Amino acid sequence: MIAPEDEAGFTAAIDAAVADRAPLAIEGLGSKTGFLREMQTAETLSTRNHAGISLYAPQELIISARTGTTLAALEAKLAEGGQHLIAEPPHYAFLDGADQTIGGVVAANLSGPRRVAWGAMRDHLMGMRAVTGRGEVVRSGGRVLKNVTGLDLCKLFAGSYGTLGVMTEVTLKVLPKPQATGTVVLYGLTPEVASRALAVALGSPFSVSGAAFLPQEAAMAVGYERAITIARIEDFADSVTYRVGQLGALWAKFGTVETLETAQSVALWRAVRDAEPLPIQPGDAVWRVSVQPSRGAAVLDAGHAAGLFGYLDWGGGLAFLTGPATLAAHEVVVGAARRAKGDWWLLRAPPELRRSIDAVPREAPALAAIRQRVVASFDPAGILNPGRLFAA
Amino acid sequence: MITLPKPKPDVLARRDAVHEGLRAIMQDRGVITDPARLKPYETDGLSAYRQMPLAVVLPETTEQVAAVLRFCHQNGVRVVPRGAGTSLAGGALPLEDAVVIGMMRMNRIVEVNYRDRYAVVQAGVTNLGITKAVEADGFFYAPDPSSQLACMIGGNIGMNSGGAHCLKYGVTANNVLGIKLVTIEGEILELGGTHLDTAGYDWLGIVIGSEGQLGIATEITVRILRAPEGTRAMLAAFDGNEVAGACVDAIISSGIIPVALEFMDRPAIHACEAFAHAGYPLDAEAMLIIEVEGSVAEQDWLLGQIKEICARFNPISLKVSQSAEESAAIWKGRKGAFGAVGRISPDYLCMDGTIPTSTLPLVLRRIGEMSAQYGLQVANIFHAGDGNLHPLIMFDANDPTSMHKAEAFGADVLRLCVEVGGCLTGEHGVGVEKRDLMSVQFTEIELEAQRRVKSAFDPEWLLNTAKVFPLQAGTASAGPDALPHAA
Amino acid sequence: MQTNFTLDQLADPNIAVADKILRSCVHCGFCTATCPTFVTVGDEDDSPRGRIYLIKDMLETGAPASTPVAFHLDRCLSCLACMTTCPSGVDYMHLIDYARVRVEETYERPAHDRALRAVLAAVLPYPARMRAALRAASLGRSVRGMIGTRGMLGQRLRAMLDLAPGAVAGRSSTERPGVFKAAGTRRARVALLAGCAQQVIDPGIHDATIRLLTRMGVEVVVAKGAGCCGALTHHLGKHDAALAFARANVAAWTREIGAGGLDAVVTDTSGCGTVLKDYGFLLRDTPESADAARIADLAVDISELLMRLAYQPSLTPPPGLVIAYHAACSLQHGQRVTEAPKALLRRAGFTMVEPRDPHLCCGSAGTYNILQPEMAGRLRARKLDTIAPLKPDAIVGGNVGCLTQLSGTAIPTIHTVVMLDWMAGGPRPDRLPSDAAIAATRPAAALAQDPEATWS
Ligand SMILES: Cc1cc2nc3c(=O)[nH]c(=O)nc-3n(C[C@H](O)[C@H](O)[C@H](O)COP(=O)(O)OP(=O)(O)OC[C@H]3O[C@@H](n4cnc5c(N)ncnc54)[C@H](O)[C@@H]3O)c2cc1C
Ligand SMILES: Cc1cc2nc3c(=O)[nH]c(=O)nc-3n(C[C@H](O)[C@H](O)[C@H](O)COP(=O)(O)OP(=O)(O)OC[C@H]3O[C@@H](n4cnc5c(N)ncnc54)[C@H](O)[C@@H]3O)c2cc1C
Ligand code: SF4
Ligand code: SF4
Repeated sequence: MIAPEDEAGFTAAIDAAVADRAPLAIEGLGSKTGFLREMQTAETLSTRNHAGISLYAPQELIISARTGTTLAALEAKLAEGGQHLIAEPPHYAFLDGADQTIGGVVAANLSGPRRVAWGAMRDHLMGMRAVTGRGEVVRSGGRVLKNVTGLDLCKLFAGSYGTLGVMTEVTLKVLPKPQATGTVVLYGLTPEVASRALAVALGSPFSVSGAAFLPQEAAMAVGYERAITIARIEDFADSVTYRVGQLGALWAKFGTVETLETAQSVALWRAVRDAEPLPIQPGDAVWRVSVQPSRGAAVLDAGHAAGLFGYLDWGGGLAFLTGPATLAAHEVVVGAARRAKGDWWLLRAPPELRRSIDAVPREAPALAAIRQRVVASFDPAGILNPGRLFAA
Repeated sequence: MITLPKPKPDVLARRDAVHEGLRAIMQDRGVITDPARLKPYETDGLSAYRQMPLAVVLPETTEQVAAVLRFCHQNGVRVVPRGAGTSLAGGALPLEDAVVIGMMRMNRIVEVNYRDRYAVVQAGVTNLGITKAVEADGFFYAPDPSSQLACMIGGNIGMNSGGAHCLKYGVTANNVLGIKLVTIEGEILELGGTHLDTAGYDWLGIVIGSEGQLGIATEITVRILRAPEGTRAMLAAFDGNEVAGACVDAIISSGIIPVALEFMDRPAIHACEAFAHAGYPLDAEAMLIIEVEGSVAEQDWLLGQIKEICARFNPISLKVSQSAEESAAIWKGRKGAFGAVGRISPDYLCMDGTIPTSTLPLVLRRIGEMSAQYGLQVANIFHAGDGNLHPLIMFDANDPTSMHKAEAFGADVLRLCVEVGGCLTGEHGVGVEKRDLMSVQFTEIELEAQRRVKSAFDPEWLLNTAKVFPLQAGTASAGPDALPHAA
Repeated sequence: MQTNFTLDQLADPNIAVADKILRSCVHCGFCTATCPTFVTVGDEDDSPRGRIYLIKDMLETGAPASTPVAFHLDRCLSCLACMTTCPSGVDYMHLIDYARVRVEETYERPAHDRALRAVLAAVLPYPARMRAALRAASLGRSVRGMIGTRGMLGQRLRAMLDLAPGAVAGRSSTERPGVFKAAGTRRARVALLAGCAQQVIDPGIHDATIRLLTRMGVEVVVAKGAGCCGALTHHLGKHDAALAFARANVAAWTREIGAGGLDAVVTDTSGCGTVLKDYGFLLRDTPESADAARIADLAVDISELLMRLAYQPSLTPPPGLVIAYHAACSLQHGQRVTEAPKALLRRAGFTMVEPRDPHLCCGSAGTYNILQPEMAGRLRARKLDTIAPLKPDAIVGGNVGCLTQLSGTAIPTIHTVVMLDWMAGGPRPDRLPSDAAIAATRPAAALAQDPEATWS
């Protein structure tokens, strides 16, 4: 493993890899190594030694960090300023290892429950530096909250899983941590009714910042006996009290409503964020499916019928599913996602399965051609995480 | 003045054939070739720059857009996409050998889905038109450029437009779920959809803000949001830019994120007050408009907190609106700011840099010095929450010296923005106006990386040529082949 | 916006005025969004900003108006929505007025177009000729089916016939000059513009105005020598004819000022009111410019006058009656009178609703519906489409042109003053449905907090 301490180190490593035609696996702490497709690489290039906060301006809602900075370190720094990462990136329970780097979180564009109201990691990536597959340093965006100068390469890099370049520094928009958190809970609904209730919550004027449904098995994993449908409100304490009350009234037509205080709420939503409700067995696969919210229930049902378990976040728009890592199970997920006109990711699976199938849906041919040209423009030698997202 | 690339002689020579071809595709509807009718299309919101196009086509369907683009691609004809033509950066400025594709006939709302909170609209629907279509049911489309009455969602996609309420709700890129994009080859791509996260690369992210360089958006799926229970504004006036800036910092540090936080300097206050009679304090050096939302009790509480914070900075006056009408009055002056300046000066250049908020006092001081040096007045309006600065430089377009001075002044301001850690443009886009300043912000390597992405979508550089990227040194007049190239 | 006039050109006072207007336009494009023709056809050439640009080019080159320029300027309704929208205060009205004169002077229209315009200019301003023409039209209606829809002339003739009232009404009380005495103590003395077309198409409007005003203690004068306000010919670009009408009116009312004094010159046809208020500009280069300016200052819409006189109803409307207020462009954009009519109708106790996009023209626009039947028809359909969902019992507005344009559906159209007069003791408008028919009401649905109500 090569783990440079400065940007020049990354440039040198990439130059060498290009010269040797020796593909590199790009990683932070390697927590997501088991994600997506398997790769054949000669060497691993890690950002783990390239860490540190380079700028924190709380009044400007901006933080910049070298990409090897751990999420924990970043969050600790923000906590000093009473702030947090808006997209509340998950620490998935099924990750390899205890922590992840901020670079990896951005490169995978992973967001937690708050994404439904406040946007994804990609939405808060204001600027970055990266070393491309040409060994060139490029910057995009900046350290200001608004920027439309030229093509927005930040967006392209967020979610690119290290296939375009190695990000060396990211600048993120941050916001004040809410004073209080409240949750409204409904028990025992079916997925379909739950998804209606979630839509009512998200369509209400009360600024709901989390909306999830945990079927019984999932609910049990986090200490509830029946299925729970939950909506979160984060704000100043008085506002939370008021809005939780209003939302409870709106939800009364769906059943008996309970509310959770800040401490309980924070714990529950952390579990939802981190996919803790997934009853994962060793060797199981994990899929993530993003669909139009009202269609999430059907995805969950289809999975259930095939022996897969999971839950819904983002008001029904995000389904996590887990179950046996078989081709048949995979096809059930893909079929359900396709019928719901959504996208899917094979997040985790044993190498055998990952080797034989796609990890994300294929693009239409015209788009695939453009994608190949875009990727080649950053990485003409094809040495950065080759095949991680797409086989070709 | 701006340099445009030399027209392709072969295209000009085939003018009639191109016209014929377009008419055949469009079945004789919506093709403009008569010079008199082309005239109003020679410019956009930046009327200092003008160029007559080869033709204008006004398609009514995505298929027509695809057919026209395929035809242009096959014939090597350049294309300039156009929405409402309100760009302040000359983004929709034609080229002599280009076909302007005007999207304003595609103005239908295709679908509204309240349960899943999205709307599918054609590119020619105005920004405000989306909100108008859903507001009776309590919803709205969040990004709100001051031009929202007229500018179209396709143009907003082009420029990744923002507005006064972006501090809370984000800009266009944060509010779009899907785009139907027609490539220069006439392929119809479905990017994103009605779901939140899309697998693979973030094509929406790169297309939004690409200023018509990558394709033409014909149908857009936007997120619509339930409106808050209510909003209310307050006004705080200070006797110096520094204290006003410090007050902004203090508000944000308190953990309160207002939905809007607008700053106006003395000349802006005076111009707006003369036009709107909104009761702005004329003795103030700087003024903040602060807006919060929620139930009445929540508004009261938030405004109370903000008022206490402002009080720490020796305000000249503090006015918390007591009603929707009073809030509207407070906003009236701000929303009419550009028009107000239009009334006191025949022409203005609206700059759009962003700066770290902490540098505001420094930047305003330097802009003041430049104003004296160039002998041109300037009024500053600032989205204080997100660092987006709009200096309005007043000049007289009928006086060539005044115009050149204004251009130079504007360029100096933008250089200053980059120097203090900001960027050239926060929401208006690069267009032709700031094209040649791109190298102030980016290295050649960085520009080349962006150009390659452009080439991946549009290998022959037919889409909105000569915008965004600086023409390569010395090649501006050397013809199209010398233009930025594929990798 | 930059302009390119030579000093020679600028020596022409008309060009100097136009230059000033053009310079004030910053080309921001806001006005495009509220222009009825732009939202209908989606072409910059059919937008205010586009027209301003076409005019700029026409004036700068000094060339005769070309066919396209005439085409797109003719399509302008002069509804002036663009002026309401414009943040820079561009005086589009005087620009397009002057441009129309230029088109009329320099552009050779096709023969049928010329003929039609000449007929309109010769008939509409004169009540007697108008009545005769309408008699012929009632006859013509029976042969309507025989007129082809192909070709401009066919379409336009059909448009004229469609607009003519079914039966030609009797003479209005105002067709001859005279004085209508105030009931009780006289509070004010006003001149009423009797005008031209309206008193033939719907004489009941003036009757209601006079009843209402005299009842409120106002003496109403229909001045001798006053006639058409000049708007019809003005908008056809027939400048001299328009000036002649305006001068005659100024002279007549100036005489009245001398005779018994005038507190106001009142119009109940907002299209005319807009021109009256502009007499000062229109006659700025004539010997009577000072008189004209004084008349312009005295000019008020009936709704403004009623506000000033503190109108009060004496009755209450039948339960369930819902009226849709249609804002005439000449009133809302031309005169910027937006609140007075609505406030009065509310004060009279009416339940009032307004359609979506109230700023958009219904397509009437003086003679526009005759000259541009296709566009006028589309705008009419659009307006009616936005009114229909409100399910009103009547459409109420302050301009006879709109009322005629929007008639022909199951919903009657009635002038504001007729409704106000009714509630102050005048006759019940006979076009209104019976009280029984009105009784079916819809409660206005309040916005539910539960969003599920909006799912379909
Ligand atoms: C007075 C005034 C105030 C303004 N205030 C703001 C503000 O507050 N915030 C802000 O962000 N902007 C503002 N603007 C700038 C302008 O309104 C925005 O840039 C707007 O998004 C342009 O939209 P448009 O429809 O007019 O597009 P145009 O000006 O016609 O085009 C803009 C760009 O997008 C491209 N384009 C247009 N349609 C498409 C399409 N369908 N597919 C692909 N590319 C396309 C064009 O080629 C061009 O590059 C203001 C402008 C004015 C005149
Ligand atoms: C949303 C939308 C809805 C529409 N709905 C309808 C509809 O319901 N019914 C309908 O008939 N049309 C409809 N149209 C079509 C549209 O209104 C007409 O095509 C438009 O009015 C003419 O514009 P054009 O660019 O197509 O002009 P062209 O196709 O160039 O010309 C149209 C007509 O106008 C004449 N013309 C154009 N320019 C000039 C000029 N400079 N000088 C003299 N004559 C000229 C032409 O000779 C021709 O007869 C619709 C268009 C849109 C965008
Ligand atoms: S007057 Fe009416 S029709 Fe004419 S340009 Fe203005 S808004 Fe359009
Ligand atoms: S709104 Fe006014 S300034 Fe803007 S383009 Fe229209 S007329 Fe010109």
